[in-house]
Amino acid sequence: MSNKEIKNSQAEVEVSNDMNTQLSDRRAFFKKAALSVGALAGTGLLANEHAASGEDDPFIMHHVKWGQKLGDPVTKNRYGMPSEYEHNVLRRNTKLLASGNFQASIAVTPIHESMGIITPNGLFFSRSHGGVAHVDPNEYRLMIHGLLEKPIVLTLDQLKKYPSVTRTHFIECPANGGQEWRGPQFNSLQFAKGFMSCAEWTGVYLKDILKDLGVKPEAKWILAEGSDNSEMGRTIPMDKVMDDAMIVYGQNGEALRPEQGYPVRILLPGWEGNLCVKWLKRIKLSDEPFFAKEETSKYTALKPSGKAIQHFYANEVNSTVTSPSPEIPWKDLKVGELVEIEGLAWSGMGTITGVDISFDGGKNFVEANLKGLVLPKCWTRWSYTYKYEGKKIVLASRAMDDAGYIQPTIDQETLITGIEAVYHRNGIETWEVSEDGTVNHMQMRSTLKRDETGKVVIDKEAK
Amino acid sequence: MFKLNKLIISASIAASAALFMTACNGDDTSTAGASHSGATASAVAYTNGKAVIDGGTTYPVINGKTSDYVIDKQAESETFNYGRTPTANEIAAWDTDVTHIKLPPEGSGSVEEGEELYEEKCVMCHGDFGSGGGGYPSLSKGNAVELQKTLTNQRFDPDADGPSRFFGSYWPQASTMWWYIHDGMPHPMTKSLSVDETYALTAYMLNINEMVVDGVEVDDDYVLDQEKFAKIVMPNVDGFEPEIRGKDGVENVRAYFQVASNFGGQKVNPSERCMKDCLEPTAKATYISGTGISDFLPPMATVRDLPKAEGGFDAKAAYESNCAMCHASYLAPGSSDWKGYTAHGMDQVYAKGIAGTEGGMPPKGGSSLSDKDFKTLVDYMVSGK
Repeated sequence: MSNKEIKNSQAEVEVSNDMNTQLSDRRAFFKKAALSVGALAGTGLLANEHAASGEDDPFIMHHVKWGQKLGDPVTKNRYGMPSEYEHNVLRRNTKLLASGNFQASIAVTPIHESMGIITPNGLFFSRSHGGVAHVDPNEYRLMIHGLLEKPIVLTLDQLKKYPSVTRTHFIECPANGGQEWRGPQFNSLQFAKGFMSCAEWTGVYLKDILKDLGVKPEAKWILAEGSDNSEMGRTIPMDKVMDDAMIVYGQNGEALRPEQGYPVRILLPGWEGNLCVKWLKRIKLSDEPFFAKEETSKYTALKPSGKAIQHFYANEVNSTVTSPSPEIPWKDLKVGELVEIEGLAWSGMGTITGVDISFDGGKNFVEANLKGLVLPKCWTRWSYTYKYEGKKIVLASRAMDDAGYIQPTIDQETLITGIEAVYHRNGIETWEVSEDGTVNHMQMRSTLKRDETGKVVIDKEAK
Repeated sequence: MFKLNKLIISASIAASAALFMTACNGDDTSTAGASHSGATASAVAYTNGKAVIDGGTTYPVINGKTSDYVIDKQAESETFNYGRTPTANEIAAWDTDVTHIKLPPEGSGSVEEGEELYEEKCVMCHGDFGSGGGGYPSLSKGNAVELQKTLTNQRFDPDADGPSRFFGSYWPQASTMWWYIHDGMPHPMTKSLSVDETYALTAYMLNINEMVVDGVEVDDDYVLDQEKFAKIVMPNVDGFEPEIRGKDGVENVRAYFQVASNFGGQKVNPSERCMKDCLEPTAKATYISGTGISDFLPPMATVRDLPKAEGGFDAKAAYESNCAMCHASYLAPGSSDWKGYTAHGMDQVYAKGIAGTEGGMPPKGGSSLSDKDFKTLVDYMVSGK
């Protein structure tokens, strides 16, 4: 959301509120007010009645400017907005991450500012292939057809008649971190790891809709297709449909935002964000996959063999330190003082079971602490209270999940997948924290080469 | 780390034993009492006994709950009959996918027609002969069969060539191209090409990728139709794993993701994970080269202050957000290219910009600016200031 948009919407509401206040409240107000607030408000900071010396904090010793004059009426901001002071907490983009224009592009979440495990809707990362579509909910239709006895068309109201389900899950673009297969490029947590967000979703289990439609036994796959400019579509196996796939229309207690597919998207918990097709119009059951553009030309992971992994569904176990970050370094710390190192862990394959933290770039680890709700395929908060020593440390985190996976080192991962995979990178990431608290993104990795048989090996002679 | 490597191998054994046990998916709900503690092999099987298709965990309903969520039992047991049956026409209108088993509708188009269409509707983004440009995808870099061989390229040496992932060299199915052109292109006005035009553009794609179809070179005189389309075999048709076509497709996927080493995963028994000396001795600190990528929009900032007062219309910022992708090289701000356009007066330049052009520029460049601001923007682009 731009500052201009905040300002405009606030200005609009302000005008109507002022009129409202004038018409109904003004007389009563002046009658009841014992003090002339108007006279006080013009004078700025007034010293209170206590004695003050130079050591005293003026923001304590003086009445703060918002503490005396009237605040906004409750009639202002019919849809609430963040404090204007938060105007730098924004989705951001960069030209590198645009396929030509900013319609086929991504704007990523400021996870260096994220709190807890929920991303507010206005900051949820936004990725589209033909721009954000603006769907008229009255014209919205969802068609389900193909290998079933009873194809149907649903309006939005009809879809919402099914018993609702609410679940909290992250959605991650599988290219999260994918610009850094060959080395770190972003000195920024927002760009290095912010191709993801987490929300509470409300909708319908797709299996609950399908169970009454006579799915034919030969149906093995579905196509989920969007109604946007690009008709973004993906093939999904029926296994996922019959497990936890949802057709969602709610996000953090309100309708999906247009950027997340308003009015309806498919949600495949834990799987590639690209598979969670937005502006959903059609589900087709089939005995064969569909080879849609975004599951062939893109979203396939090329290995050193020259073969590419297709249908690489789940975002694997991953984690990052979120505090400190390159954006928000440590400041004003004294040697011996305690400071919380905080981070996120997530796995599209299950539930986070533990996170380890390293202070020497991933050589040696100790256990960190999970905290708060620990849910399947959901952001999980972890922390470690560290005694600041005033010297350089290199922070790395490593998560595990209940499917038995642990984050690989960069070497472990790239020896198998090479460095041209683009997608699904989950190697351990490192942040170098200097003596002065500044944070720099770096990686701990060996130089690779091919041996005489073509196998990818560590180049032991590399300088 | 060396401990980890050993453990990868044992991890998939229990899970693969669960494969192929029963037939259909997820319709067996009689699992009350089964445990789903994450450490056991049974945790990675669906209620029908099959391994989870993505290699991860599933959470069967136990004591009315799936993981920590309480299940609505009525929702699972009642029958809901909402919506209506679509008409045959409605299904036909939306059932537009084209796949390896579902051919495009009957029709035809020539390479020559395709090239004309390409020059008219595609070249401004995809470049001459599909060479790409301005960040838009390239469609060809030459001979498909030759470039397919580059897919083993890995840039371990930063100066080496990377793999060529273009239509001819990488895509496994030509159906993908036909379908995407027809439903997803041209980018500023999709779903506007006829069946014959789509055949023509597909023919041109085969031509610039120097493809051979059924032993016949797709030369400038080639005409593509449904029958010939059915015979296209892409050079990289077998370049993907696991194999998803055919009756075993789903089971191939399931088996593939049971083996962590197929996709770079690491499995470990938590009590045996590496805690000391976990890096290769050759691993060294690698830093961002130069300043890295930092052209963030808007620029990175974390300060808590009041936003600066909105000034007037910022033409440069509007250019960056709306125009720079196409107008960075040709007709860039202040470029001499503009002379050919401004000679007829600025009013014509404004009018064309506002209405959009046949050259592919959408009205107002796809922006939602007012006419007044758009004209200011055009002034900036012509003058460069």
